[in-house]
Amino acid sequence: MFSKERENAIDKSSTRLEDFSYIRDSEINMDAACQTMRPIPVIDALNEYYKEFNACGERVQYKWGKIVDQKVRDVRSKVLKFVDLLEKEYTVSFTLNTTYGLNLLLNSIEASPYNKVVTSEIEHNSVFLSTIHFSKKYNLERTILNRDVDGSLIYDTSEIKNAVIVVNATSNIDGRRLINIKDIVKDAHHNGSIVIIDAAQTMGHFHHLLDNCGADAICFSAHKMYASSLGVMIIKNTLLDSLKVEFVGGGMVSNVTKNDYVLLDERETRLEPGLQAYGEIISLGAAIDWLRDHDKNAELELSKTLYDGLSEINNLHIINHGVSPVISAYTDNLDANLIATSLSNSGVMVRSGYFCCHYYLIEKMKYPKLLRFSIGLHNTSSDIDKAVGIMKKISKGF
Amino acid sequence: MVCIAAFIVLGIISIFSAKYRKLAGEAWSCTAKRITLRPCDSTFKEDVKNSILSKVLLKAPKLLKVADAAIEIIAAIIVILTIWSVLVATKSLVNLYVYGTCNPSNASSCSLNASEACSANTGEITFTQSVAQFKELEWAGNWFKDFGEGIAAIPSQWQYWSAKNYLPQNVTYYNKYDSTKPTALEVIDPGCSSCKKLFVNIKDTDFLKKYNLAYIAYPIKSVSTDNGYRFKNSLLIAKYLESIRVYALTDSKKAIDWKVIDRIYSEKNSDGIPWQTAFDELLDNQQAKNTLNKWLSEFGYTSNDVTTIEEMLNSQKITNIMNSNRDIVENKIKTVQIPTIIYNGHKRSGVLNKDQLN
Repeated sequence: MFSKERENAIDKSSTRLEDFSYIRDSEINMDAACQTMRPIPVIDALNEYYKEFNACGERVQYKWGKIVDQKVRDVRSKVLKFVDLLEKEYTVSFTLNTTYGLNLLLNSIEASPYNKVVTSEIEHNSVFLSTIHFSKKYNLERTILNRDVDGSLIYDTSEIKNAVIVVNATSNIDGRRLINIKDIVKDAHHNGSIVIIDAAQTMGHFHHLLDNCGADAICFSAHKMYASSLGVMIIKNTLLDSLKVEFVGGGMVSNVTKNDYVLLDERETRLEPGLQAYGEIISLGAAIDWLRDHDKNAELELSKTLYDGLSEINNLHIINHGVSPVISAYTDNLDANLIATSLSNSGVMVRSGYFCCHYYLIEKMKYPKLLRFSIGLHNTSSDIDKAVGIMKKISKGF
Repeated sequence: MVCIAAFIVLGIISIFSAKYRKLAGEAWSCTAKRITLRPCDSTFKEDVKNSILSKVLLKAPKLLKVADAAIEIIAAIIVILTIWSVLVATKSLVNLYVYGTCNPSNASSCSLNASEACSANTGEITFTQSVAQFKELEWAGNWFKDFGEGIAAIPSQWQYWSAKNYLPQNVTYYNKYDSTKPTALEVIDPGCSSCKKLFVNIKDTDFLKKYNLAYIAYPIKSVSTDNGYRFKNSLLIAKYLESIRVYALTDSKKAIDWKVIDRIYSEKNSDGIPWQTAFDELLDNQQAKNTLNKWLSEFGYTSNDVTTIEEMLNSQKITNIMNSNRDIVENKIKTVQIPTIIYNGHKRSGVLNKDQLN
């Protein structure tokens, strides 16, 4: 028997949220892992900035600028509260995207306290490539640890001693989650290491996984959590204070002399050279508010329906170990790009290929190209039914 | 094959529409790699196939493999046809440059001919005949042999042609030989209407006053006639002409063989039918002999002379002369269009107009 909560969730999933009313029923986006659709309040927040107080922040005395400064400050606070981290311990900085944030951090870290960099097998190239570069740059050992089927990192404390550990909290392949994140952080800190989390796939679906996790840095993309295109870094102040200055620009300095400069005391300016994307930052605040108001049960129900539907299709191999908003699959004899093109011709947009996880999918697992269905709160049960129905129809060609 | 076929199709479309040029560029990138035996590192082939197969997958998924194979086959056909078209076009251009016709085997089928002519190269099997006789390989071999010969003959277009280097045995001239004038040499078939037209044009100009005009009688062979020659009495007339040259009348002001040619090309019979037409279409072998014998008597030969000439027609001597002439035409002059005329340092084929001759 369904629980009352689940019945409500199923009921909710059958109709599209009003905030996505602009989406045409004939067009079904199932690539939320790349970027989510934006709810109307987020779009409105961005438009409001452009229409009502389109000003530069952090450097002007006029009214609109003050509004921007206040709203940006509010967003920094909202971000930390969203993952239950304290403002006195952490600073929020904005950048371009997760990849840029991770690279910026790794390029700014003083390598001397560490003797290795550690990552895991199921990483996106944002982590995989930046750790390769970091390892080569400082001639450090690089260790790739395995992840369990439940997503937890399999490690021995000796493997994470004096290390820079960079891992994702949620896989963009199959949605596996880093469920032992707090243990990792605790063990890492106990062994002189730091932990940087790639939370790109986490913030839109499982942000509670990061609640008070204690990580030294968390990088994520606002555009994967219903906000505008923006990168976000949450950095522990102790780490931020130890970073080398790699980029310098306006908004970071209190004074400039002929051959020198003085940095501002405010930590949030340390990684933000030049003007920021104020409209996008402000819309992130709207997205966080919106996400807080929308529970994920409906999305989980849709994920289950999708997983069950795809599981019924003969010769379609799902690589997930369980239900997730991100489901990847392949067939033995049909190219995933062809299936994706067919689905697109029917109005269903999914990803195909290797999703920037070349090492794990090609070199390690030797998978053919994959098909990835990733859903979000904008999807409905009829979206899922249509996608599964088309997949069943074309499966006769598998 | 799909990349190459797509490049061919998009390349052609791109000539007329700029919006396809980027796609054609991608196709070329892939094609360049394939034809240099490197793997195609773009997804172009996949994209092209997927754009078609994705629709099949939706409408008739069970036919996907058939459609996939069909795309490869159609692509292969497009590529093969294109390569063949390029070869045919190249061969035609070479032929046009070298021989004056894009199709030496059947000059009348080529609208680009430099001038009207009779094809001398009609002894080879056609494609249709090769299919009927299961001799496709022979046909293909001939095709490429002809192509090679055409290319090999290109330098001959740049050489200085001197008629004196190709004169036959017992050569005769239309007018009395004048050592102060240059020599011109015509390759003719008595039955070829183009030869008649050229002859008429020559007579209408000052050509005969400026040149010592000689000729080689070259009966054009054919695989589709009973006697193996394109014009039924050409061989007989050619033999008569050579026999007359061997058994020449010393007191004649004008070479008798030229009188015969003159009459065939210029005059009509009592019914008003041009003699050339009569020989080609009306007279059988015996009637042709009788006519020519009658002409010889008229031109001054005695009845005994005529009998001697008639007996000489199938002699080894005349056969040798005919073979020698054929060798000059086919292996030295290397013409496949009749008439061909060598004068003023050039070799020209077909009917030349009066301006060209002046």
